[in-house]
Amino acid sequence: MNEIPKSLSRSGAALATSRRGFLIGAAGAAVYLGFVRPGFAATDLAVSPAKIFEPTIWYSIDRDGIVNVSITKAEMGQHIGTALARIVADELEADWEKVRLDYVDSDPKWGLMVTGGSWSVWQSFMPLSQAGAAGRIALIEEGAKLLHVDKATCSAKGGFVISGAKSISFGDIVARGELARTYTADELKAMPVKQASDRRLIGQDTRAIDIPSKTNGTARYGIDAEVPGMVYARPKIPPTRNGSKVASIDDTAAKSVKGYIKSIALDDPSATVPGWVMVFGESFTAAKAAADLVKVTWTSDDTAGVSEQDVQDHAAKLIADPKVGSLVVADDGVEAAFAAAKSKLEQTYTTSSVLHFQLEPINALALEKDGVFEIHTGNQWQSLILPVLAKALGVGEDKVILRTYLIGGGFGRRLNGDYAVPAALAAKAMGKPVKMVCTRADDVRFDSFRSPSVQLLRMAFGEDGKVTAMEHHAAAGWPTEVMIPSFMPKGVNDVPYDPFAISGANHWYTVGAQRVRAVSNDLANRAFRPGWLRSVGPGWTNWAVESFMDEAAHAAGVDPVAFRLRLLDGAGRNAGSAPSAVGGALRQAKVVARAAEKAGWGQALPKDTGLGIATTFGQERDMPTWVACVARVRVDRASGVVTLEKLTLAVDAGTIVDPDGALAQIEGGSLWGASMALHEGSEFAMGQLKDTNLDTYTPLRMGDVPELDIEFIPSAEMPTGLGEPATTVVGPAIGNAIFAAVGARVRHLPIRPDAVLQALKA
Amino acid sequence: MITFQLNGKKVSLDLDGDTLLLWALRDELGLKGTKFGCGIGMCGACTVHVEGRATRSCLTPISAIDGAEITTIEGLDPAGQHPLQRAWIETQAPQCGYCQSGQIMQAASLLKDFPEPTDRDIDAVMGGNLCRCMAYVRIRKAIKLAAAELRGTDVK
Amino acid sequence: MLKQSLIGLAGAFVLGLLIFVALAWRSSIAPIEPPAAASFPPDLVAKGEALAGAGNCASCHTAKDGQPFAGGYGLVTSFGTVYSSNITPDPETGIGRWSEAAFARALHDGVARSGKHLFPTFPYDHFTKIDSDDMKALYAFLMTRTPVRSEAKPNTLPFPLNIRMLQEGWKILFFRKGVFEPVAGKSDEWNRGAYLAEGLGHCGACHTPRNGLGAEKKGKTYAGATIDGWIAPALTDASTSPVAWSEAELFAYLRSGASALHGTAAGSMSDVVHDGLSKLPDADIKALAVYLADINGSSAKLAGTDAAVQKAVATSGLGFTNEPDPDARLYASACGSCHYNSGPQPLAARPELALNSALTLPEPTNFIQVVLKGVGLGEGMPNVMMPGFAQALSDDDVARLAVYLRRTRTDLPPWTDVESKVAAIRAQASAAP
Ligand code: FES
Ligand code: FES
Repeated sequence: MNEIPKSLSRSGAALATSRRGFLIGAAGAAVYLGFVRPGFAATDLAVSPAKIFEPTIWYSIDRDGIVNVSITKAEMGQHIGTALARIVADELEADWEKVRLDYVDSDPKWGLMVTGGSWSVWQSFMPLSQAGAAGRIALIEEGAKLLHVDKATCSAKGGFVISGAKSISFGDIVARGELARTYTADELKAMPVKQASDRRLIGQDTRAIDIPSKTNGTARYGIDAEVPGMVYARPKIPPTRNGSKVASIDDTAAKSVKGYIKSIALDDPSATVPGWVMVFGESFTAAKAAADLVKVTWTSDDTAGVSEQDVQDHAAKLIADPKVGSLVVADDGVEAAFAAAKSKLEQTYTTSSVLHFQLEPINALALEKDGVFEIHTGNQWQSLILPVLAKALGVGEDKVILRTYLIGGGFGRRLNGDYAVPAALAAKAMGKPVKMVCTRADDVRFDSFRSPSVQLLRMAFGEDGKVTAMEHHAAAGWPTEVMIPSFMPKGVNDVPYDPFAISGANHWYTVGAQRVRAVSNDLANRAFRPGWLRSVGPGWTNWAVESFMDEAAHAAGVDPVAFRLRLLDGAGRNAGSAPSAVGGALRQAKVVARAAEKAGWGQALPKDTGLGIATTFGQERDMPTWVACVARVRVDRASGVVTLEKLTLAVDAGTIVDPDGALAQIEGGSLWGASMALHEGSEFAMGQLKDTNLDTYTPLRMGDVPELDIEFIPSAEMPTGLGEPATTVVGPAIGNAIFAAVGARVRHLPIRPDAVLQALKA
Repeated sequence: MITFQLNGKKVSLDLDGDTLLLWALRDELGLKGTKFGCGIGMCGACTVHVEGRATRSCLTPISAIDGAEITTIEGLDPAGQHPLQRAWIETQAPQCGYCQSGQIMQAASLLKDFPEPTDRDIDAVMGGNLCRCMAYVRIRKAIKLAAAELRGTDVK
Repeated sequence: MLKQSLIGLAGAFVLGLLIFVALAWRSSIAPIEPPAAASFPPDLVAKGEALAGAGNCASCHTAKDGQPFAGGYGLVTSFGTVYSSNITPDPETGIGRWSEAAFARALHDGVARSGKHLFPTFPYDHFTKIDSDDMKALYAFLMTRTPVRSEAKPNTLPFPLNIRMLQEGWKILFFRKGVFEPVAGKSDEWNRGAYLAEGLGHCGACHTPRNGLGAEKKGKTYAGATIDGWIAPALTDASTSPVAWSEAELFAYLRSGASALHGTAAGSMSDVVHDGLSKLPDADIKALAVYLADINGSSAKLAGTDAAVQKAVATSGLGFTNEPDPDARLYASACGSCHYNSGPQPLAARPELALNSALTLPEPTNFIQVVLKGVGLGEGMPNVMMPGFAQALSDDDVARLAVYLRRTRTDLPPWTDVESKVAAIRAQASAAP
């Protein structure tokens, strides 16, 4: 996801988590150091018997020296807690063995709570570093007093303040000292942090703190939540996402199920789950069996008849109409360049619907306690769903708390917390705790899957094959428009756009006059709920951009790597800027060259085997993660079957906080890319997705894993995101490799053998 | 009344025989380490051992395991130190971790039948275990590591 | 004239009927005071127990979740459902008042103590071969069981099939009475096997096809048949198994319920092995294996075993790596973790589908049955279970698996219309008595 900080400041949100406003925004005008929590005066707690040093709301140290780091990010496999704690601990000079993670519940004090867009480390790096540094300074000052030495002689290391031969542990300082100190916002902002060369933890290999619990069955996910007295619920999902109403419920047959309680139609003022019926049971087994027997009739609107082809036809129609859409990039001279072009290239690219299929089916446990609704579930964007829950329940936002659990796979599904709403409404209706668990088919039918897309790309070539202009028009369902339209910035033509649905089209290639137009597919938005899915827009925009660059290179008679390097010249707006995009397109050129070199670009290959390259900057121009990928494929001309043999990736994500964790993210991300390119893809059919479980939906499995060769470019630049970028390069790299292998050009994702056969004939 | 050995202890359930073992374990016996992913035997998240062999608990009614010996991730090793679990930590295999109980239980079964598994063996036997985070590279590595330890040799 | 002829015809019919009734009529055998269990010598009872195992009496005479031998099990035939009788020594509802002679007549002639004809779902056409010593032992065993009061369930045979007297016609046509005669020139072991298989074991009751009137077809002994929604495969050289059913394989299968090269006993064959044959000593199992291995001509196929196994195991890894075919992916994800093998020999606990008759039979019946119902812990190979996929997979999914495996694991012509066959078996299973 991209540009949320920018969007937020635009919309004037008070708790904007812009990098430097993080701490300040969260805790008011100053950050207190001492025995305080925000909201208390330092003096109130000076007498507190609890000897806990809580320098900022982000971490505390107790008298045993245990450093508890508050993690406001959702843990869903990226081991974010470990990475964030490493940042704090490095500056604090803590003993890593004494660092613990505390995944916190929702609370206004945390500011914006969202985990997505591969932002977490990038957003948190400076504030957490500065919070760590602030704590270290306070500990050194107090430690010096306790050691009776001049603080100038002191340093901190490994959880101790040290002066010559004397030392005192952080725990002892907390236990015996009188820590109290206040920093102003400006002081904190100006707080210097370490030089890269002085870091002790960041960049060193470590083991993720949460991993052992994920090998012995003790890790707790939302689906594991339980409270005494709860009943279970399973929904009956209506035929359409937005346009169904319950006409009647007949539970006669369900009454024979032991433990069946009742079925009710939900009344949802937030319109999140129109037409939902909840079936209650004493156990999930009862609720599940009963739901199969409860007969519900619905009345549905016209979207019950909408299928994938309708959505795509509509997209094509919208793209053909120049009056619709938002201009995201609108240089002068595009028309002129095309008019004067020596040659032109125009292609259309399409992608199918893609499911999240996070392994933990959606679920939520909701209960009311003393007028406050507690929702127990894994969630990636608490700040998005809290107001929706408040509206659904008819209470103030301060009357809703989201309790935090591990997430059994997010990939963007749990950015959209819609699944919390039916559980909350059910708990309210029943007057007791309700745990809703969806079966896999329920989960899929309620998925906010990745919209199918249609994109038209054009390029104008001038003298000597020089690229003089490029247009990119993309139409898809817009998640942000349907879920949080206030997040949408306005394009050059004043029309709002979903940044997540178009990012990637505003690439770093220097292509002369450029035009990028984002088009909202209103039919998609109505017929289903388009979702954010791992890397979102670049999932399709980069498929188009990178397939098209390859076609353009071939049209220009230039090697695809050389062609890209020529356009990644770092000129003009592609020069890059501080803090996170230093170096600009030249850093992208470097990963392209490196991946090509590693993969043996240009060498002779066996028959019907080819290499294809693709590159990305990730999702956001001001938080670029530079990635290039070379795919090696073998194509069977008779069947059209593509065998993915190897992926070679070069990644520049700035400073790498946790190298092994970073590698895991690139491994998983690139395999996601391979899965979406060759094995996934569904189809919207008559108001619902065609595939609802693994019998027909076939994500990549163990035997499909190609050889992986991943390299990180060493860098001391600002760390950027790692969770998503690798997903978007693999598809086009495979497509381009197929062309290199057998000369067949595919323009639709996923790539099916039939399409390759057809392209071979073309 | 259905009685069986669960992680070495005798348990009895007064439930309908059709109740699936997965939900009996999770909701009645409080063992949450066994996970629900697909409910149709195709993701492996719910894998437990029935008489020492990997079995999908989401398909298994408790009537089918009356008198049997069941092992879940919680019982694979009392201290969570089975060679596979140690290898899983060593290779930092889990991402979200949701599939991993099932992966480990399936891998334990794999190593019984194929103490020196080839890549092909791993592809095939682990092919029923979906890892949506796609942590496959490390799962494979961890299996080989554990296999070597169990055989008392170094990984080739 | 016409009237006279009609009268004549009617007269002839009535006369015929009278003769038939005379032939069909059996006297009742006087009831006895139920003999005390202690009146039977224990070694005779023990012998009878083994023989009752060989006859697998319990399987048919025990209802699902019912008391052993108390009857009530419904055998679905193409004529209707026939429920088994109570053969515990309960005086009112069982055979407590049956004398040994009455008991022997039932097994040898298919006539109850009361004189009424038994339906041939009770395989007296096989039991007629039981010799008198064994008959005594069986009687002793059954009369020493715990008596259970359990009224017989009414059969669902339509008129006129429910007229028991008509069974005489069937007997005239198809039933040949007489105890087993050893075949000269064959070993004692062979003859022991033949005696068990053809008599008490009544293998032909399932494995021999039946004619339109439900009698085993002459000349088609053990040629394979459909029974109770399953296929009982051919025990002759018409066997479709890719690997010879050698004496050793037969012994392993009949003794343990599974063999590495043929797979697992499922359905009622599992009961035969575990509830029935398990009571017999190894020597009897060996005799059965000797006999069956001889009549199936496996010696001729034996030489091809290694090659067939290698070929099968070579297909075992198909579908797992870079597989684009969605049907193969379905197989790899749902079945492969348990069924995959790598050479040189498959593992018995990992039934190798390429060697399994479920895939080589002319119809996918058994394959569908096993996929839907699974194989219990006590069935097939002990302590190895396969959960049923009835709730998990659609008819289309099961059909895709069947078609894919038939295509990739055998060289046989494809099965047709599989999806509707899945639907039919599913419907039959949910309607089962
Ligand atoms: S939940 Fe049992 S295999 Fe997926
Ligand atoms: S670690 Fe997330 S599904 Fe495997």
